[in-house]
Amino acid sequence: MDKIGALKGEAIRPAAWERFTALPWPSKTDEEWRRTDPAKVPLGEVELSPDPASLRVGWEEISPKLIASGVILTDLVSAKKQFPELIQEYLMKSGAPEGLAKFVALHEALFSQGLFCYVPEGVSVELPLRSWVEIAKDRAAVFPHGLIIVGEGAEATLVDERRAPGGVHGPIVSDEMVEIFLKAGSRLRYVHLQKWPPQVVELFTQRVLLEKDAHFLNLTMGLGSTLSKANVETTLTQTGARADLLGLFFGSGRQHFDFQTLQDHRAQATTSDLLYKSALKDDSDAVYRGLIRIARQAQKSDAYQANRNLLLSQGAKADSIPMLEILADDVRCTHGVAVGPVDEEQAFYLMSRGVPEAEAERLIVGGFFEQVIQRLKLKELEEGLMAQVSNKMNKGDPKE
Amino acid sequence: MTTPLLEIKNLHVTIEGKEILKGINLALEKGQVHALMGPNGSGKSTLSNVLMGHPKYQVTGGEVLYQGRDLASLKTDVRARAGLFLAFQYPTAIPGVSVVNFLRTAMKSRFGEAFQPKEFRKEFKAAMAQLGIEESFATRYVNDGFSGGEKKRHEVLQMALLKPELAVLDETDSGLDIDALRVVAEGINRLRGPQLGILLITHYQRLLSYVEPDVVHVMMDGQIIQSGGKELAHELEAKGYAPYETEKAPAP
Repeated sequence: MDKIGALKGEAIRPAAWERFTALPWPSKTDEEWRRTDPAKVPLGEVELSPDPASLRVGWEEISPKLIASGVILTDLVSAKKQFPELIQEYLMKSGAPEGLAKFVALHEALFSQGLFCYVPEGVSVELPLRSWVEIAKDRAAVFPHGLIIVGEGAEATLVDERRAPGGVHGPIVSDEMVEIFLKAGSRLRYVHLQKWPPQVVELFTQRVLLEKDAHFLNLTMGLGSTLSKANVETTLTQTGARADLLGLFFGSGRQHFDFQTLQDHRAQATTSDLLYKSALKDDSDAVYRGLIRIARQAQKSDAYQANRNLLLSQGAKADSIPMLEILADDVRCTHGVAVGPVDEEQAFYLMSRGVPEAEAERLIVGGFFEQVIQRLKLKELEEGLMAQVSNKMNKGDPKE
Repeated sequence: MTTPLLEIKNLHVTIEGKEILKGINLALEKGQVHALMGPNGSGKSTLSNVLMGHPKYQVTGGEVLYQGRDLASLKTDVRARAGLFLAFQYPTAIPGVSVVNFLRTAMKSRFGEAFQPKEFRKEFKAAMAQLGIEESFATRYVNDGFSGGEKKRHEVLQMALLKPELAVLDETDSGLDIDALRVVAEGINRLRGPQLGILLITHYQRLLSYVEPDVVHVMMDGQIIQSGGKELAHELEAKGYAPYETEKAPAP
């Protein structure tokens, strides 16, 4: 890693950089990296720099009315200048993640750009907000950092896309972190739509803190990248908080998804409901490791976790590892996993109506994902997201 | 001499090595309605699944000709596009796939170039109305959480829209109350005509008082042991299958 030595010092956070250099490179013997080869993260082949120009952050303009009510949608560099007190209060304040230690340290040392979204207390944003982060540099490591704050009693929907419309020359390492704060009684629907091009290896951390009676509805949608290793942590810090955590992954070629989730119940009467699904074509594979943790004081909590995998070819593979760590005694907690091919009876039923086998499979996969997407309960989003799935489904298929 | 719409010749079928159909013979002409009756486990549903090409069953002998064409090498979807239809006894749920999306895809597949997307909604709504199906049905997931009656109406709805030339109705009358039975029977009768052959598989006679068959076959233990006119159905209703059980020849 010679290039690291050539870094310019000024924009680097030295403490984090020291942590990064002190931590060993992940080993295949670490439980966290047993199913994803750390050697496939080509950090030595990319330029490491805190350059904010390596990313393009964009968003759909919000209405003057929303601006007047205090809603902010901008990029992190601008936010640091315009809203220093908010940045001071929230940036890197979501707590230390429990996974991807070395890459979190690297991110912390080098990140400079990303999305900033703030919805002030009591404000309800009716229409979905839309934002995107694009890669603007070749052979680079990029460090998107998202910071989303939803004030007390506020409500919003944000569809946040990762993409590189003009294409990129690889390899690219995206070492991302998203921090989300939901204040008391707030509600956020957050769709993270990952459509990176195939040159990208992604490391992704999401930290979410929910206060009293807050409701977080999350869909993480993984379509792109060649390798994606993610750690999604949701902490229910106060009574009555609720998180609906949805994941949808569609692999093709040799794509590899490795998702780790934490449903961290720290207060009484908190609820989390997780459903992660993957459909895997060709030689793609998915790993899911999910932990439900219920602290001693989090009595009357309710946690659910389900992971379902549809294997669409002989070469596809899925591993599913649910884990429980429950210290309270009066809780409800269930989990379930499933891995298998397309149901023969479903395919037969569709084919008995004249639908060719490939088309029947597309319908079944579409339905498999539709069940996840419909839980967003927002019709206008559902169609667009299903179209993303169909698009991938059609593109990946060999010509008939 | 015309070619029968469906001709089954000495058909032998096994599932997981066990023989279920032991030499079925049957010929059905265009425009005819045949009833196939028999007790549970006689092989009726196996026959319907085999006609549709279910991969679980192995044809070990004999042949099935549809419009003179050997079905053996044709995949299920090809058979369906050629005009074969099976109304399932237990239709499979496909969560996440809406009825309207499913039917649009099915009709597109069945009719190809002739499918008119602009006409689809209208045709679909009209067909639903005829079967007393509410419009909200369209956005529900296929067979997912349907009541017994809804499932059967949904099967007949598909039959109406896909306009088959040979329809196999597998116990479409089972699990229906008398009102639902009447609606379903009316649906079948509306489709009945010179262009459609129907094989009506049933356990009971009651559907046959609404949909009158031209020919009745009695099936026992994987074979058709008697065929006759509609009076045969009444006889069965009165005496049950017991007389056949005793008449049955001992295994060779």
